[in-house]
Amino acid sequence: MLRAALSLLALPLAGAAEQPTQKPESLGEPLPGLELFRWQWHEVEAPYLVALWILVASLAKIVFHLSRKVTSLVPESCLLILLGLVLGGIVLAVAKKAEYQLEPGTFFLFLLPPIVLDSGYFMPSRLFFDNLGAILTYAVVGTLWNAFTTGAALWGLQQAGLVAPRVQAGLLDFLLFGSLISAVDPVAVLAVFEEVHVNETLFIIVFGESLLNDAVTVVLYKVCNSFVEMGSANVQATDYLKGVASLFVVSLGGAAVGLVFAFLLALTTRFTKRVRIIEPLLVFLLAYAAYLTAEMASLSAILAVTMCGLGCKKYVEANISHKSRTTVKYTMKTLASCAETVIFMLLGISAVDSSKWAWDSGLVLGTLIFILFFRALGVVLQTWVLNQFRLVPLDKIDQVVMSYGGLRGAVAFALVILLDRTKVPAKDYFVATTIVVVFFTVIVQGLTIKPLVKWLKVKRSEHHKPTLNQELHEHTFDHILAAVEDVVGHHGYHYWRDRWEQFDKKYLSQLLMRRSAYRIRDQIWDVYYRLNIRDAISFVDQGGHVLSSTGLTLPSMPSRNSMAETSVTNLLRESGSGACLDLQVIDTVRSGRDREDAVMHHLLCGGLYKPRRRYKASCSRHFISEDAQERQDKEVFQQNMKRRLESFKSTKHNICFTKSKPRPRKTGRRKDGVANAEATNGKPRDLGFQDTAAVILTVESEEEEEDSDSSETEKEDDEGIIFVARATSEVLQEGKVSGSLEVCPSPRIIPPSPTCAEKELPWKSGQGDLAVYVSSETTKIVPVDMQTGWNQSMSSLESLASPPCNQAPTLTCLPPHPRGAEEPQAPLYPPSDPHPSFAFPPSLAKAGRSHSESSADLPQQQELQPLMGHKDHTHLSPGTANSHWCIQFNRGSRL
Amino acid sequence: MGTAHAASEEVRELQGKTDFSSDQIEHLHWRFKQLSGDQPIIRKENFNNVPDLELNPIRSKIFRAFFDNRNLRKGPSGLADEINFEDFLTIMSYFRPIDTTMGEEQVELSRKEKLRFLFHMYNSDSDGRITLGEYQNVVEELLSGNPHIEKESARSIADGATMEVASVCMGQMEPDQDFLKIWQGINIETKMNVRFLNMETMALCH
Repeated sequence: MLRAALSLLALPLAGAAEQPTQKPESLGEPLPGLELFRWQWHEVEAPYLVALWILVASLAKIVFHLSRKVTSLVPESCLLILLGLVLGGIVLAVAKKAEYQLEPGTFFLFLLPPIVLDSGYFMPSRLFFDNLGAILTYAVVGTLWNAFTTGAALWGLQQAGLVAPRVQAGLLDFLLFGSLISAVDPVAVLAVFEEVHVNETLFIIVFGESLLNDAVTVVLYKVCNSFVEMGSANVQATDYLKGVASLFVVSLGGAAVGLVFAFLLALTTRFTKRVRIIEPLLVFLLAYAAYLTAEMASLSAILAVTMCGLGCKKYVEANISHKSRTTVKYTMKTLASCAETVIFMLLGISAVDSSKWAWDSGLVLGTLIFILFFRALGVVLQTWVLNQFRLVPLDKIDQVVMSYGGLRGAVAFALVILLDRTKVPAKDYFVATTIVVVFFTVIVQGLTIKPLVKWLKVKRSEHHKPTLNQELHEHTFDHILAAVEDVVGHHGYHYWRDRWEQFDKKYLSQLLMRRSAYRIRDQIWDVYYRLNIRDAISFVDQGGHVLSSTGLTLPSMPSRNSMAETSVTNLLRESGSGACLDLQVIDTVRSGRDREDAVMHHLLCGGLYKPRRRYKASCSRHFISEDAQERQDKEVFQQNMKRRLESFKSTKHNICFTKSKPRPRKTGRRKDGVANAEATNGKPRDLGFQDTAAVILTVESEEEEEDSDSSETEKEDDEGIIFVARATSEVLQEGKVSGSLEVCPSPRIIPPSPTCAEKELPWKSGQGDLAVYVSSETTKIVPVDMQTGWNQSMSSLESLASPPCNQAPTLTCLPPHPRGAEEPQAPLYPPSDPHPSFAFPPSLAKAGRSHSESSADLPQQQELQPLMGHKDHTHLSPGTANSHWCIQFNRGSRL
Repeated sequence: MGTAHAASEEVRELQGKTDFSSDQIEHLHWRFKQLSGDQPIIRKENFNNVPDLELNPIRSKIFRAFFDNRNLRKGPSGLADEINFEDFLTIMSYFRPIDTTMGEEQVELSRKEKLRFLFHMYNSDSDGRITLGEYQNVVEELLSGNPHIEKESARSIADGATMEVASVCMGQMEPDQDFLKIWQGINIETKMNVRFLNMETMALCH
């Protein structure tokens, strides 16, 4: 209601706007003076209305999606068309004339390109080319078939006297009508099929057809149109030949234009390293230029944009920065979704204008029946032929969906509006028929296709998270298949694809890709990179979220707030990974298999160092600072590994997380940090990282001005932990030494004596008595009870003076408390704490070896029991008096 | 279809064993002779003569698969020195496309066969299990043929892939369970096909 009113405002406003501006003049005042208020509707009218329409459409979308029930049953396109009908009715009632219709010019120049670009750019190119044969067949042969049969059948209908004689049309007119009504519409297909989720092969065939048939439609439409204008008597044989030739010119020309622009686009983005900010713009501009160029040369513009998007994607994605990629993606999706929404709404509105159309039941019904029938027939015939060649034949169910999914849409409507009434006397009838056909296909077929797909049990697309292995295997597959084809001596699809890839790698990629991108850009690497990014993001999200609910933040220190957040995230992360740091106990290697396992285990833990973050403030509006890609990759990878390992451990092997371990360490760090805050502030520390350079923190001036504590914390976070491999005995000795130094006053739980860990590999000890299952959920919840803190944890610890196996379950919920307590307490520790790094008491080291045998331990030792089974993985080295921290891995058994 | 050709006794016998049509067998035999240089057997060196294969980064693995006794259904392990035409057909039959006429069971069977072939490629020590270490090595080997991936990145990708596998299986993979899981995103039965072997339809169209 409100929305409708809003849009209607335009009309009265237009009238009202006249008065204030004209009044002064009509009164003839010589000095208008300074106007306090001026109403300038006319100056903003056009863009204002456009914005308003888009707003209305978007709001409508929001409203539709408020109810899940409705959108799950009714496709959005139907709802939009219906809304358009209602709005159109209101406009008609208020203004007494139809306003705001779908103008062919607007449609072809502004509304269609974003949708086509979006679909071309994000088209799964591999799938598309795998099925290119089928797609082309349906697009070319299918469309020609539909156009001619429908046109001819309608003409036959007229000859049979079933169409009212008012409809003055000859065979050519009907063929013209057939050509515009027969093309499957990409917008409609996309709108409906995106919600249906049929299997990807089926989707790509229907959708690819709808995109590629544009060339055929354009040619047919133009040829028929010019024939009609010339009059059938004047058409000569050469004209028919020209018509056929123009099919090739239009389609191949369109594709060529697209490819040329794709090349230009890829080449341009190669040189945008210093002006990252305009990268997304370039993508849109050049793609749009391709569209306009093709349109200008009356080639197939849709084909041009599709090919442009399809062709440039690989190189552009490699060249532009990660942020630009995201921007391109979202802008494209937003524009396409906007355009789609507006198109459907305007379609609804346009239908209301009764002045434009004239009804003839025979023609309407005949057209409806014919397009359905000939579509189905065409699909069946073509599929039969195609199946002779396809390795994976299309079955009957696929054919049904393909026939039924042939939706007509706005393209047909725009084309029919473009007809010249003087040349095509039956235009009004054609308009009415087109509207009915579009409405029928979008609404009726759109509504029923979902139940149909369900009822026929069409293979749905299974949505898997993309995995590295999948990508790897697909590559392996390609190589194997290409090799087998070579062996067989048959140059088939795989052979040519292989050839193309080699050509691409050798020449094209080198030409079009930035050198740095070219070096690292590979599909596998790409997937790997994306996966890691995704993992990292989700990880950080979880961590951040967890903390925000704890109320741990100090209101007085906003900047510190975020620091605390990240550091806790790190804590979580570390605590999770702590479980797997157990390596020292593998000193009895029993078999080769175990040995191998041990190597694997080392590998898996090897990556578990703490990821660092860099903070960089950017003030420039034109340049987005670019992170060093490789370093990020590495970091993210490590994080990723850690996470996966965690889930791997927790879900599969019932190994619990060591939460207590890293915590004391952290506290020490914090303490240390506070103590050294003045001294080290602003200076990069010497960190024992693999790549030290990466650790250097670039703190911009504004950040430095802030709380020094915060920057300090920041730095802390950026520090890493060194994993040092040592022989068992060495570590044990060190453990003793450090233990003798001092026991830290902070609440600490000491790693327990790993019972089974000693004899078995850590992940195998899942069956051991001590094994406690801690789900990852538990870890996440952890911080929530942080505030309840110290007391709780102490009391619960005290209550645990029972054998390790019993206490284990209770303990699992403990981890949060000690840490929670520590967080606020950290500043309380004496800054001069001589032992910033935590040393484990000697008992710990012993426990690691002997606990399995000794069932009863000293009470104080038990108090120090760790939460989990095998956990003496990490020994803190006492020697790290300086600011960086080492975890020593005992890798005595490492090969 | 292919019945016009007078299929010799031998061809018919092979037909029964491998489900290839006589046309396909004839073509493959022609190719076999071409590869072997008119010898009754093919040795590893013969494959080196295929010029198109030179650029294939994993060709050694693929050659190996051709001589793998397990793929040849001749033994639980080891490599054959040479293969005859029948063995050649056996290997090729792993790449037969599935048929519309196949029942559910047959499709499943063919899927398993194909999987086994892949499994054998990954299981280099032919002990029936792929350990994580083994897997990592194979992946690294696969990647090493790719000139666009540096050693370092190949390593980390291999590590990442191993991590993924580690999350679905218990340290090692058995052919029928865990190994399936890592392939779940791919429709093997619809992808592991080589068009040429679909000779029947070609003949039909002629």
